[in-house]
Amino acid sequence: MILSVVEESKPNDHRKMILFVAGEGLNSVRARENLLRICEERLKGRYDLEVVDVLKDYKPALAHNILVTPALLVTEPPPKVTVLGDLSDTRKLLKALQLDLAE
Amino acid sequence: MVSIHPAPDQKMSGSRVRLLDKLPTHIPGLDLILNGGIPEDRMTILSGGPGSGKTMLALEIFYRNAAAGTPGLMVCFEEGGEAVRINALTMGWDLNAMEEAGKLAVIHPEIDYGAIRSGEFNIEGLLAVLAGKAQEIGARFILIDALDVLLRLFSDPELQIDECWNLNRWLSANGMTALVTAKLSQSLNGIEKYAFLDYLADCVIYLDQRIVGQVMTRRLRVVKYRGSGYSSNEHPFIITRDGLVLMPVTSAALNHKPLGQVISAGMDTLDRIMGGGYRQGSTVLISGPTGSGKTTFSSLFAQAACRRGERVQYVSFEESPETLIIGMKSMNIDLAPHVAEQNLRFLTAMPEAMGVEEHLYRIFNSMEEFRPSHHIVDAVSAAVRMGSEKAAFNFMVRLMDECKKNGITCIYTNQTSSRAPVDEISGVGISSLMDTAVILDYDRKGDIFGRSVLALKSRGASHSHRFHRFQMTDQGILMDEDIEEDNDEAEGDSR
Repeated sequence: MILSVVEESKPNDHRKMILFVAGEGLNSVRARENLLRICEERLKGRYDLEVVDVLKDYKPALAHNILVTPALLVTEPPPKVTVLGDLSDTRKLLKALQLDLAE
Repeated sequence: MVSIHPAPDQKMSGSRVRLLDKLPTHIPGLDLILNGGIPEDRMTILSGGPGSGKTMLALEIFYRNAAAGTPGLMVCFEEGGEAVRINALTMGWDLNAMEEAGKLAVIHPEIDYGAIRSGEFNIEGLLAVLAGKAQEIGARFILIDALDVLLRLFSDPELQIDECWNLNRWLSANGMTALVTAKLSQSLNGIEKYAFLDYLADCVIYLDQRIVGQVMTRRLRVVKYRGSGYSSNEHPFIITRDGLVLMPVTSAALNHKPLGQVISAGMDTLDRIMGGGYRQGSTVLISGPTGSGKTTFSSLFAQAACRRGERVQYVSFEESPETLIIGMKSMNIDLAPHVAEQNLRFLTAMPEAMGVEEHLYRIFNSMEEFRPSHHIVDAVSAAVRMGSEKAAFNFMVRLMDECKKNGITCIYTNQTSSRAPVDEISGVGISSLMDTAVILDYDRKGDIFGRSVLALKSRGASHSHRFHRFQMTDQGILMDEDIEEDNDEAEGDSR
């Protein structure tokens, strides 16, 4: 029984994210670096990341109610979480990605 | 009829004079106050407390500009997009149709207050959306409602200021004219929370809503306008079902004569509860349902004035002069001799027979020739039948203004529906614009029909504050309390 619960939760182990940045702004560059570092360290092969530059295309930002940049939208696993900022606060980023701090 | 003296609208820079380009608000009174409109390529702040009418005014400017061929982009943080569209539609402004025609765009991003904060961020995302969307429809006008809602994303007051500077810089760099609403709120230390917005913006308009006595009053004031002349007075306004109506003041306001001497309201019985009577040159509203005595009150006033040898012009939207005169005779009010002596002039017209301009033209022409001391409109509520509601209110305030300028007492009767608030004309509270407001009512107790009168407000007079029961008799209007007193006296005498 317990095993099957674990099995069912497995698809949830995959992260789907959209990172909204504004060109090569300082915050945006930092956010990209911070996110990629955590992804490589903790989520290797278990994530999809789309990076949207709002200066090139504003429509995804409008569609996702993104008003400030940088902003990270974690769409999977549910619930949907938004993280604002350059992601320099690692504890908060891990929390948003539902990753344990200890690992 | 209203003369306008344009204030110096230029800023001297060295020896050169540069005119400030302006975007008209398309709201007649407001463009006068702003000397043409809000500044182009700059930020105008529209601030005020909750319910002061900020969004309504902003929407009207937005809609009327779009209709006049200046496309705009509206960003609503305040309420859901649907709510804004529905609210606009109740005013007759169909945002959807205009949006389909490519004349405007409304976006309403939902702000996620539950968002996790990790490090620094700024409003570049919003600016990118604004730039993209504005370009799509060719908008150079942006309405933001309300900025304080967006600023809540930034917990640090310093950051809030930074982001407002960012917004302001972006607007001017992109040649955008912006109208930004902001809710005024006091922080714990009593300092206005977004005071820095007033320093930032080139034009600041403040809306205010307060209760004076029992009367709700809305006022608009231009607090600052960099590089432009403007009227710094407080201007009363009302919100009608199809937009904002301002008293057409500015230069005219300066010509308003102060209230004159106390004159009889028509009978000593009335004068007693009115604190002596009305004031010469004041605006008086007499409100009540059908048959409550409005025409009797105004006829009594007219009779008293004519007896003093003063002239009265009486605009009747309800009855012909013949019918009115016969009706009043039953109460021993005889207006016929005053008509014959040319102290009393009736002007009658069906409200729907012509437009507001024609009605005003006819009335003003007659006023100029007849030179009355007092002017009566019975009933001003019928002006709604002249066309749109807003036009009717414009009729009302312009006639009022003309009377004020000439020191003419302006009496408006107003027919109220059975149980609606007494000082409204089809749902719009107008008593704030009046110097004096008299409320008439009637009721039935068993088989007894009772009438009552209340002096709701009377500027510059210490009037009674309660309902007085009265009777309409062949001796005019008699207060029950006076009759009882007489009876008591009579009884006392007989004992």
